[in-house]
Amino acid sequence: MSGGPAITLKSQPIDGNNSNSGNAAAQQQQSGNNAAAAASSSSSSQASSGTVPPAQEGTRQSSLQRIQQRKQKVFNLPEAQKLAKLSMYSACQFEGCRCTGWKTPQENRHRDVESSYCPEPSEECRNASCRHPLRSHISHLTEISRTSMDDLLGAIIDMENLFMSMQRVEDEDTKKVYLYLFRLLRQCVLTRQQAVIRGPLGDPPFESPCITKAVLSLVFYKYNHLNPTELQTMTEVAKTFLNFLNHYNFESPSARRGDATLTHDDASTYKINYTRWLVFCHVPAFCNSLRQFETSLVFGRTLLRTVFQNMSQQLKKKCISERDRFPEDKRSIITQMPKFLEALRAELLKDDSPIWDSTYRPPNSFVMQQRKRHQEVAPPATISAAGAAATSSSKRSTVGEPAHKRVKKEVAERVVSENLDDLPTDVVMRAMKSVSESKTTNKSEILFPVNVSRDENVKAEEQKRAIEFHVVGNSLTKSVDKQTILWLLGLQLVFAYQLPEMPREYISQLVFDTKHKTLALIKENQPIGGICFRPFPTQGFTEIVFCAVTMAEQVKGYGTHLMNHLKDYSIQRGIKHLLTFADCDAIGYFKKQGFSKDIKLARPVYAGYIKEYDSATLMHCELHPSIVNTQFIAVIRNQSEILKELIAQRHNEVQKVRTGLTCFKEGLPSIPVESIPGLREIGWKPQMRPVRASRPLEESTDPEKLATQFASVLQSVRQHTTAWPFLRPVTAAEVPDYYDHIKYPMDLKTMGERLKKGYYQTRRLFMADMARIFSNCRFYNSPDTEYYRCANSLERYFQTKMRELGLWDK
Amino acid sequence: MPLTAESAAQQIQDRLKDIQQHIHKVDNERRRAENSIASLVRAQQNPNPKLKTLLQSKILEATQEEATIRAALAKIHEIRNIRNERRIQARNAGNKEAIRRGALMKMVQLSAQTLPLFVGKPGERAPALCGAIPAESSYVAKVGDNVAALAKGIDEEENWILAEVVQFLHRQNKYDVIDIDEEQKDRHVLSKRKVIPLPLMRANPETDGHALFPKDTVVMALYPQTTCFYKAIVHRLPQTATEEYEVLFEDSSYLNGYAEPLPVAQRYVIAYRTTKKSAGSGSGNLSSA
Repeated sequence: MSGGPAITLKSQPIDGNNSNSGNAAAQQQQSGNNAAAAASSSSSSQASSGTVPPAQEGTRQSSLQRIQQRKQKVFNLPEAQKLAKLSMYSACQFEGCRCTGWKTPQENRHRDVESSYCPEPSEECRNASCRHPLRSHISHLTEISRTSMDDLLGAIIDMENLFMSMQRVEDEDTKKVYLYLFRLLRQCVLTRQQAVIRGPLGDPPFESPCITKAVLSLVFYKYNHLNPTELQTMTEVAKTFLNFLNHYNFESPSARRGDATLTHDDASTYKINYTRWLVFCHVPAFCNSLRQFETSLVFGRTLLRTVFQNMSQQLKKKCISERDRFPEDKRSIITQMPKFLEALRAELLKDDSPIWDSTYRPPNSFVMQQRKRHQEVAPPATISAAGAAATSSSKRSTVGEPAHKRVKKEVAERVVSENLDDLPTDVVMRAMKSVSESKTTNKSEILFPVNVSRDENVKAEEQKRAIEFHVVGNSLTKSVDKQTILWLLGLQLVFAYQLPEMPREYISQLVFDTKHKTLALIKENQPIGGICFRPFPTQGFTEIVFCAVTMAEQVKGYGTHLMNHLKDYSIQRGIKHLLTFADCDAIGYFKKQGFSKDIKLARPVYAGYIKEYDSATLMHCELHPSIVNTQFIAVIRNQSEILKELIAQRHNEVQKVRTGLTCFKEGLPSIPVESIPGLREIGWKPQMRPVRASRPLEESTDPEKLATQFASVLQSVRQHTTAWPFLRPVTAAEVPDYYDHIKYPMDLKTMGERLKKGYYQTRRLFMADMARIFSNCRFYNSPDTEYYRCANSLERYFQTKMRELGLWDK
Repeated sequence: MPLTAESAAQQIQDRLKDIQQHIHKVDNERRRAENSIASLVRAQQNPNPKLKTLLQSKILEATQEEATIRAALAKIHEIRNIRNERRIQARNAGNKEAIRRGALMKMVQLSAQTLPLFVGKPGERAPALCGAIPAESSYVAKVGDNVAALAKGIDEEENWILAEVVQFLHRQNKYDVIDIDEEQKDRHVLSKRKVIPLPLMRANPETDGHALFPKDTVVMALYPQTTCFYKAIVHRLPQTATEEYEVLFEDSSYLNGYAEPLPVAQRYVIAYRTTKKSAGSGSGNLSSA
């Protein structure tokens, strides 16, 4: 209407907002009260992001509190004052007026609507192009509900805080982001819409798997063999790490520019991720009108790789400095942290680490156990400002939470549906508990040390880090570190001593070949064993080339554990078959490791790829993708113990002495099993014999009909040209030693007699006698005899005849 | 008297309780001894006519403490014997548990680590069968004791194997021994000179260094993770009671004829004895591809 700015908000929001930012600034400046001070102090901590390390976690917490307090105060204002506050960011409703917010008249500029000032509806806007009364700025707002009004007011406060932060922050990139968010919020207040961030940044989550998932996978991958308490500690360490990450203030891209190791690509990727972090994770923590996402749930490996070094250093420092503030029982978290960080770093650097594989998934049982523990124990200790952070983060609603709950529900449902016919979980839990208890009070252990499973001792050593497993290999394209070369040399020696038949040059050639890798078993930094292998990803198999453990370390289970590691390694890379040419000494070992001479792979799959050896046997092992081989023995052992315990428990429950059965004395020959007292009470069910799919439906239950069919088969068999040796019983006169060897003679004449007597009540009896004729013959006679051939050919004929009548399986 | 698994477990349980009491007692006595030492120090500073009687009473206390510790050690020894007895009975009853090679090796290791340590009275020399001190020529190993036995394998080759005494046949002056490695199942009847009893006690290098083989002695040692003794040279002596020897086994596959130093427990290092065929290089069953 009046000659205001020609640019309208709607057509060009950016420019329009530009003029508004001045507006807001003016408003901020005029309100010199406590609330503004709070806002500015909050923004000061925001502004420090990127330039100052997050040393003042306390400040962060108190700013959050102050922001909350200010909001609460505004929410509690009388409605007129609230409307006045709103009016400052609401477009004038007067037709044709382009004013985007009511400005306090000159005389009242020093007064603050958030404290005592309550302008009259008639007071006019200071904007020269507007001059309309307050009323016309809020006429559209009188109908809105109290909650949506509070939402709007919350957004306004966030906006004002953002503006202050923007003023203070020095980093240009950060400033731009604040400005962008400020405009966004301003627009949302104006149009009364929910703030949604769209655009080139993309939508969270940005990477899969997210850091949380990968870190939990790491706990499983690295520490699942630990005992429950230690595993619990590592889980808490992981959670503490995630918590720290979620409250970590990332360096601004400009601060990282000095780092010469960063490539241009890295820098631009980091800039994008930094912006994402500001917009989706960091700023929303202070501005709750924006939706907040947890850093650890929306980012993945790329981001963590770039920030890990600095972040882990700070975390370590923090661990040291806050050590004494930690409760006694949580100290282990601090002591374990460096180890955990080291493990995570290693997995971050490995290109093929399983934890960053989106398909990697700890078994359900582990995930459920973790969840269960999570529910049982108090929220994980937070390194920073213990307590306060945890409560505030639990208040905030994040995307992570609903998703988390959904997954849990799914798991629970699946468990229910699977277990319809199963034991209740608490019964199983009870059994598991008593199994673990009985382990500590095992009596036989007093007598002799327990005969632990083959890999138990090895796993204990691995856990203590007395031994380590590494996959090493030579490379021509990348530089190979000295340690790897030393290990490869050591491995070459181990193979050379243990495999004296192999030419040394040949061993060196393969161990240092770039296509071959070696899974090394390292003890006191010396390789004491290993498996040299070559993966053929295109063929889906891995060839095992050498496999040896140094003499003095044999029979300790290292070989088994090495092979299990190789199996897991292969499975993680999608390889499901292991092949090897085993020499005669090695066949036993490979058999123990689940290899078989029966090759299930088609020859074209491996022929021409694998190195073939004379006088060695090709052996094959198929891998099951859902078995963790390094855990397999322990799992099976556990299951068997739990099962035994369940049986024992059930036994205790149902134990009862009953009076014996008298029916047999009274002359009954037999009774149905289910009529034995007590059987049904303990849950015995008559076994429903599954109908054999192969059983021909035509098979008659009518003995007469069966007898006719048998008679016709027998007749045909007798008339066959090769039936002559079997027509009559063999006599001792003809073959003196026959009955020394054959205990159950049979012939076609005897079968005819049996048939007449009605002996063949079922097909099986008939077939058994016929089979006996042939097996006797083949047992007594050698394969090159006429008799032997007769037996074979008559057997085939018999089968054909049976099939014709539908009496043969399949 | 048959020793059932239950009664053996019960007896061991009783001994363990006794040991616990002994440990408490030792603890008390040690505390008392500390006080005594303090009071002795004080008494020496201020000349005291009663110093002599004081010293006498303290010596008595120390003797008591020593007696308690020895009693506790005796109990531990008893447990070893009960276990051993039970094992022999179970074997004689024919229901020996099949144990895996790995477990067997572990037991071989454990029994060496838990071999009783000789703790002599002041001035006492280590007795026979402690560390490197050989048995007297008339000595006869007891049933259940471990020995090195020169036995013929399936291939008629003689090897010094780790074996256990089943009985001593006095009339023939021969041992009846059984191979520790159950996979072999062989019983051997061997003349006395083909059987060397293994040490029954460890020598403490800090107090009984004379009872150890000096460096560079040619010995026979159990090759780690096998049940055979081979010729070796002592490379390094144990420095403490729990340490093992380091020995160099003869091994022709190494350029200098000796393998890298390997650790072998005191129990499995014995004086070298020549055989007709000098023991060849170490060989065992290699599992290799």
